[in-house]
Amino acid sequence: MSPFQQAVAAIVPIPEPFTSAGVFAVCAAIAFTFMGAVAGVLVWAERKICARMQSRRGPVHVGGKFGWLQSIADGIKLVLKEDIIPDEADKPVFRLAPYLVIAGTFLAFAALPFSDRILIVDLDVGIFFILAVSALSAVGILLGGWASNSKWSLYGAAREVAQVVSYEIPLTLAVLPVVIAAGSLSLRDIVAAQAGSILNWHLFSPFMFICFFIFFTAGLASLGRAPFDLPEAESELVAGFFTEYSGIRFSYFFLAEYGGMFLISGVASALFLGGWHLGPYSSAWIFLAKTSFLLFVMIWVRWSLPRLRIDQVMYVCWKVLTPFAMACVLGQAFLAVRS
Amino acid sequence: MTAVAAYFNDIAAAIITAAKGMSLTLRYLFTKPVTLMYPYEKPKTPARFRGVHVFDQDTCIGCFICAKACPVDCIDIEVERVKGAGKKVIIKKFDIDYQRCMFCDLCCEPCPVDCIHMGQDYEKSSYTRSGMILHFARPYTPEPAAPQSTAEAQPGAGATALTPKKPGENPA
Repeated sequence: MSPFQQAVAAIVPIPEPFTSAGVFAVCAAIAFTFMGAVAGVLVWAERKICARMQSRRGPVHVGGKFGWLQSIADGIKLVLKEDIIPDEADKPVFRLAPYLVIAGTFLAFAALPFSDRILIVDLDVGIFFILAVSALSAVGILLGGWASNSKWSLYGAAREVAQVVSYEIPLTLAVLPVVIAAGSLSLRDIVAAQAGSILNWHLFSPFMFICFFIFFTAGLASLGRAPFDLPEAESELVAGFFTEYSGIRFSYFFLAEYGGMFLISGVASALFLGGWHLGPYSSAWIFLAKTSFLLFVMIWVRWSLPRLRIDQVMYVCWKVLTPFAMACVLGQAFLAVRS
Repeated sequence: MTAVAAYFNDIAAAIITAAKGMSLTLRYLFTKPVTLMYPYEKPKTPARFRGVHVFDQDTCIGCFICAKACPVDCIDIEVERVKGAGKKVIIKKFDIDYQRCMFCDLCCEPCPVDCIHMGQDYEKSSYTRSGMILHFARPYTPEPAAPQSTAEAQPGAGATALTPKKPGENPA
């Protein structure tokens, strides 16, 4: 049991034969609630930030000042909306798809460490697990796009799968130098390797510096965020793979996207920015601050850069990010052998 | 340029242009929003703004020139001559249909006594079609007393309040 699970077990008394299952259930509920809260805050922050970038005000009314309750109001609206399933849709698959999408992000949250003690499961292969399960979302998106039986959805799903499957490669390759440097796949060990001075951060080593940008770009692409938002592409595909979804199922896709943003930012800050360490200090708040900064950059990029064409997306992945990531892996391996 | 140079130039251009775009949006992030919080803050309309008409019933001589000038026939006037008072008339009805009015100002220009003007008001939306017809004439009540003296007694009661009234409120 991780320290977090022990704390949960100490707070929530669960009778003996079910203790571990119960603790897992409580941890899962905590992770899911956190993901929902993060998505709510992010949606609001994105609307506020993008509004100010365009000299607008964004939400101002709901909740009195700054529209801070806007996400909750939107959430209530989405829950109350009619759940429309198209007649021509493949209904069981159509219903299943949002859960698969959200499961990918949600599973990865289980292995995301916030500090030395706040992590739900301390996996030896933490980063590998996160990269592996977050690819599950692509399956859900493909199913959703196919089951909707709509041309827009199918186009969106096809683009998403082409994009996600391609960008998995630079994403994973960009992680490898960090793994080589830290000598471990466990996120906790990777962060521990960056303790002490800020210069110990993986960001400040030449190969991993490049890898940070590759990871971040590939992460944006695998999330389908702008400028790689071809799967959604609202100006050409209405809403891409979730065109036919409405109400609560639509909000699952939304939740998965914003949860995924937090996940990629969290993993990036753990891998490259020293996680919860900042000089001599270490706390979960530091981790959250670094993650929030990366989230701000994601929002900033989205509202600054135009969407790429699909061939440009593929070009960036296969001809730019992948060779550079490979070169960085080789360089880092060379450094590791030398030292 | 060789292919290799072009490749690296492309990457450099991508990074530089992305940085340029992002620095612009970052600068805008710290500027004041230009939004006018409309129902709370009203925009300042220019002096010659063409809004809902202002009508001065006491000056009006009921000559119908404005109604004739109107290119969309949206002005509906009814007058009654006062017996024994020369040319004095009573304006029984002065309706403007804002579903048709295009705020062209052509009704105001020919008015021989300058009793109709374009005003500053623009908030006259309504849920019904009949609500879009504004009645500018005061409700008509036949008075046996000489109307000339009443008009002289209250010179300030000129411009009629622009409240929409239900059609048919004026006793015909």
